Amino acid sequence: MPLRPKIGRSLSQAQAAYALLLPFLAVYALFLIYPFFRGVWISLHDWNLLEVAFNPAAKEYVGLRNYERVMWGKDIEWSLFAAPLIQLAGLAALAGAAFTGWTGRLSRPTALALGVVAALVVLIAGLHPGEEGRWYDRRFWPTVGNTLVFVGLAVPGVTLSALVLAAALNRESRAMAALRTLFFLSQVLSVTVVTLIWQIMFSPRQGLIANITELFGGTPINWLTDAQFAMAAIVIATIWWSLGIALILFLAGLQDISKDLYEAAALDHCTGVRAFRHITLPNLKRTITLVVILQIILHFQVFGQSHLMTQGGPNDSTQVLVRYIYQTGFRDSDLGRASAMAVFLFVVMGAFSVIQFIVGRGKSQ
Amino acid sequence: MRQLIICGLAAATLASGATAQEVTLGRFFGACEDAGTDTKASVGEACIIQSIINAASAEIDGVSIETLPTDWGNYYDQIKAAYAGGTPPDVHVMHRHRIPEFAGIGALAELSGDLEAAGIDPADWSEAARAAVTHDGGIYGVPMDIHANLWHVNMDIMAEAGLVEDGKPVLPSSPEELIAHAEQVKEATGKSYLAADFAQFPLGVRMVLALLWQQGDNIFTEDGTATLDTEAARRAVETVTQLFDAGHADPRLNYADSQQSFLNGEAAVLVNGTWVVDFYDAEAAKEETGLDSYYVADFPTLFSEGATWADSHMWAIPAPLKADDPETYQAALKVLAFINDHNIDWARTGHMAVRNSVVDSAEYAELPHRGEYAGTAAIATDTPPSERYGAIQDVLNREFQAIWLTGKPVGDALADAEIEVQDLLDR
Repeated sequence: MPLRPKIGRSLSQAQAAYALLLPFLAVYALFLIYPFFRGVWISLHDWNLLEVAFNPAAKEYVGLRNYERVMWGKDIEWSLFAAPLIQLAGLAALAGAAFTGWTGRLSRPTALALGVVAALVVLIAGLHPGEEGRWYDRRFWPTVGNTLVFVGLAVPGVTLSALVLAAALNRESRAMAALRTLFFLSQVLSVTVVTLIWQIMFSPRQGLIANITELFGGTPINWLTDAQFAMAAIVIATIWWSLGIALILFLAGLQDISKDLYEAAALDHCTGVRAFRHITLPNLKRTITLVVILQIILHFQVFGQSHLMTQGGPNDSTQVLVRYIYQTGFRDSDLGRASAMAVFLFVVMGAFSVIQFIVGRGKSQ
Repeated sequence: MRQLIICGLAAATLASGATAQEVTLGRFFGACEDAGTDTKASVGEACIIQSIINAASAEIDGVSIETLPTDWGNYYDQIKAAYAGGTPPDVHVMHRHRIPEFAGIGALAELSGDLEAAGIDPADWSEAARAAVTHDGGIYGVPMDIHANLWHVNMDIMAEAGLVEDGKPVLPSSPEELIAHAEQVKEATGKSYLAADFAQFPLGVRMVLALLWQQGDNIFTEDGTATLDTEAARRAVETVTQLFDAGHADPRLNYADSQQSFLNGEAAVLVNGTWVVDFYDAEAAKEETGLDSYYVADFPTLFSEGATWADSHMWAIPAPLKADDPETYQAALKVLAFINDHNIDWARTGHMAVRNSVVDSAEYAELPHRGEYAGTAAIATDTPPSERYGAIQDVLNREFQAIWLTGKPVGDALADAEIEVQDLLDR
């Protein structure tokens, strides 16, 4: 008879919580944590994909050599003028962070985070091979640069267009509901379909864009094979594709803003663009931060657009990190190096998550 | 009685279903939905190969073939991943240039002892074809073709420019003549002389390679020294870039666009492989295409010796299948024998056959345009074997694209390419 209460007592709240969490944790550990640490482990080996599959003993522990081979070079020097523009921008950001942190316009942790990033930019951009030196892997850093350019274009592109669209579509009419669905639809498509659509759109012979240019008497641009336009082309396709989620998040944010605010502002003759600037934007700050960070993490992992639309070309101008990892792992069968690059990507994305954490905490204080 | 018959039929289907050995097959060449089983009627690589596979599945007793879905562009990545995961297809197509990489680590089954028993006669293969599947003295596949770069010619444009003699196109024999012909075409017709995919797929690379080989040079030596930053390589590249500089070719066209421009009748010559001969022939016969008079020529010799880029398609069986699953291995050999028997059907694509008995047959000689590029087999060339073939091709494609798409100086690009190829050879 006292059996039942006993069981009830033996499972404390914490224990029950763990019991309920266990299935999730098990799956998470099996499919995320274990592969992650295995990836780190592989990155410490000279590991040929095919050879190791046929002979598990064919791998060799090499310590950090893969990292050195990927990121470092012979006779590497540091100077303040290796990449003057980037480094000056970094210095300016560093000064800005110090100033805003000092005057209290930004919270301490936020300013600190910004400062650390700026200092890293100044430091890393200053590295360059000396007269007799060379990078061991001449493609790695340019690839990282391309990835940053892609993120730098795609994230503001998606955020701004989603914000403008959300503000325009935030009305309760049937047409707006239909338009909201329409704009979200592209998000549902897979990357293969999206890139196929845009390859046709960009085609200088049959594409819609070329046809319109010709209609106005211009010569069509070879979007995907012209080094000046290739990156822009994959950014445009990406913005079109990943607008949906940002749009939904902004719409949710907009609906959280009380109507009273707008009514009160209207009494003070603050409507339209001014209301957007003084009421909508400040109230959307948190949503904007969330969208930006989510997009940054998402777009660092860009692969399909570059792989399918431009094959990383022309002349590597759209080669991005994940595609390089893929090529190193599968085309070159060099899993060790590929894993080292993947760990690097993880660190970069992890850094952005940390920044989000710090900035988010700074806000609530 | 009727019930008895139905039961008997059901039992028969069940029995045959149980004994039919399923063979999984991996291939590129693209998809063909309704290939049927008529190996004589299909057109284009995808449909011809699929009709042969369908016929094999239908005609070989006790063997059914499942063609796995694969993507052309990522084929080798998929195959490698499948090997690494322990689930490679029972038979799969591959290129000759991949043999060092796959056979070098023991991934492919050595077939020499089992071919005759399966009905394949290696003695009937041409010497080049046998060399294509041979690695370290063993035979690691059944060759299906030799394919090479050709000059596909629009005879109407050539005639207008006065570049036809005795019904044959007059092709250049030096870089200077090349530019002179191009100017003739531009003057007479206002059209481009040459089109090819210089922007994505490495057809431009293969063209430069041919021009390099024609000077008796190569991009690296058998012992693994990169030799790209040379006078010969510079001459080869500049032979091509002079066309771009003078507006006789557009380096920004990709595969589909360059092909379309040739089929629209906008370019006199298209540099592309043997794989499109039957397709272009069919297109030229259509009323609506701009190309009406189609001719196929051997890649012309612009320097001292003849050479054109070439490779081979071949079928291989994974080593683990031979070791662990003799029944499926035997079934897979039967499939290879069937494909070997239908070498003439595959040659309809435009590829060169690998069996002497087929090459010497009247049926082969009568294939459309076959006589026009009979010289190609003798000048077929490729780079020395290397496990890094794919990566090396990518380096060349990138650096050459940098020259003609982004204006990188030829010397810089060749020096950079040499360093990177050397890195790959040293890895």
